[in-house]
Amino acid sequence: MTRLLRSRWTFWVLVAAALCLPLVANIVEFPYLVRVGGVVGLFMLLSLGLNFTLGYVGLFDLGFIAFYAIGAYTTAIAMKHHVPAPVALLLAVLVTVAARAALGVTILRLRGDYLAIVTMGFGEIARLTINNLDALTNGPKGMQVRSWRPLAFLAKDPNVQFYLLIAAAVALGAAASRRLEDSRVGRAWVAIREDEVAARLSGIPVQRYMLLAFTVSAVFAGLAGGLFAMWEQFVTPESFVFWESTLIVSIVVLGGMGSIAGVLLGALILAGLPPLMQATLSTEWINYRYLLFGLILVLVTLFRPQGLLPSSRREAELNS
Amino acid sequence: MSSSPKARPLLEVKDLAQHFGGLKAVDQVNLTIHEGEIVSVIGPNGAGKTTFFNVLTGVYQGTRGEILFDGERVRGLPSHEIVARGMARTFQNIRLFQDMTALENVMVGRHTRTSQLLLGPLLRTSAFFEEEKATEARAKELLEFVGLKSLVNERARNLAYGAQRKLEIARALASEPKLLILDEPTAGMNPTESVDLVKLVRKVRERGVTVLLIEHQMRVVMDISDRVFVFDYGVKIAEGAPKDVVANPRVVEAYLGKEGA
Repeated sequence: MTRLLRSRWTFWVLVAAALCLPLVANIVEFPYLVRVGGVVGLFMLLSLGLNFTLGYVGLFDLGFIAFYAIGAYTTAIAMKHHVPAPVALLLAVLVTVAARAALGVTILRLRGDYLAIVTMGFGEIARLTINNLDALTNGPKGMQVRSWRPLAFLAKDPNVQFYLLIAAAVALGAAASRRLEDSRVGRAWVAIREDEVAARLSGIPVQRYMLLAFTVSAVFAGLAGGLFAMWEQFVTPESFVFWESTLIVSIVVLGGMGSIAGVLLGALILAGLPPLMQATLSTEWINYRYLLFGLILVLVTLFRPQGLLPSSRREAELNS
Repeated sequence: MSSSPKARPLLEVKDLAQHFGGLKAVDQVNLTIHEGEIVSVIGPNGAGKTTFFNVLTGVYQGTRGEILFDGERVRGLPSHEIVARGMARTFQNIRLFQDMTALENVMVGRHTRTSQLLLGPLLRTSAFFEEEKATEARAKELLEFVGLKSLVNERARNLAYGAQRKLEIARALASEPKLLILDEPTAGMNPTESVDLVKLVRKVRERGVTVLLIEHQMRVVMDISDRVFVFDYGVKIAEGAPKDVVANPRVVEAYLGKEGA
């Protein structure tokens, strides 16, 4: 099972399947599916990012959405100043990375619940700042983002264009995660999670490696935020509430901390089901969708605490 | 063998102290360890032996005094820099990376002797592959050295107690230490396992590594040590050859109380 999940073949089969989605949506005459796919993709990117800190290193981070917001707003502001779109995306990543590194330097002496509380606080501060910094962000009214049509040679529908762009980013992000996982850095991260003292005394500069994981995760959040802003052509503080941070944490926990395949599956379920249910269920059922959603989480926590597709190491830890 | 005057001092501790508020866990400790020695630290529970090891390896900063390792001052340096300078240790309560395989545990131990960061693995450069291959080969060699060759891919948590102790030693050796510090390596072992471990410590010395250990089993201490330091209430109360130390009245008093002496 593990070997199958980790094989190159599985990766390419999944990429091919993802590319087929727009065609399927076309055949079943349900174009909304592509939009859902794009949203799921963005959450996959975010969850792959959080997997570096929460999954590999085991740092509890409840404010990850703030960096998604920083990526989105950087893009919006850059676009407003007529920066070319690809450059705006690059800027989004750079600014997000810088912001997260700065936060990491100050708070990574904290552990466990303390870290969770401080990151949660940062998430709220970021949102409130955006909400009140009218001069830069236009406050609660939100910002228009100049239209950009990527991959116009591949598809006419902007939803399909962004879906394909996001899918490519997810594939790249998953491949990068995989490569880092199986390296000196990846081993150091997991070693820190397993036993911080032993890691330190095996020669790992723990603080520096935590900061590195923290910073790497920002690349994903910044990119996801940038793509989100470009696609929606509109950003408002309302998109970056605490609930979204919780959702990303739930995705990583549900899928399996430190497991790339698990995190992707988690995003598919938790980010994909609610909008699909909303679109397909009859009106009287719509009101129950969060109940269903909560039920899934409770059942998984009860019967599969290591996550749906745990990483091979994680599985052993929780089964014994 | 090597308390001979010719041997070079590897570790010199001068007036070292570690206080916690009013508690003098380690105080006024002076000692020298020469290259190639096997030295034991003994003493009753709470004598400050583990605290002393913790100051040596940078877990605690020390309150006063000097630690010269291979001629360099190392007191107060972060642990990872001390490891990089050639001091490695094991723990009284085994601290392995439980869910990594035996091989991965030892590979983590090579951290300070390797350098690939993000770009190498991301771009899968040839330098990255070469380093990974060398790290793995070295880790396998060390697992064979400590006698765990057949358990390379076993998760650390699934290993028997004695094997876990050996794996910790292999992980420590992976950083290519000049000084290996073992905190009660035979704790909880049966006599056969202890004998096995004594053999391993000797083999480690044959590789050119100096060994400093805390040990409670007197049979092991007498068998293995070139010299012994005795700690009591944070202070070094005696040092010398094993058989001299056990005959020392102060040492007997520390263990058995005044009446016993």
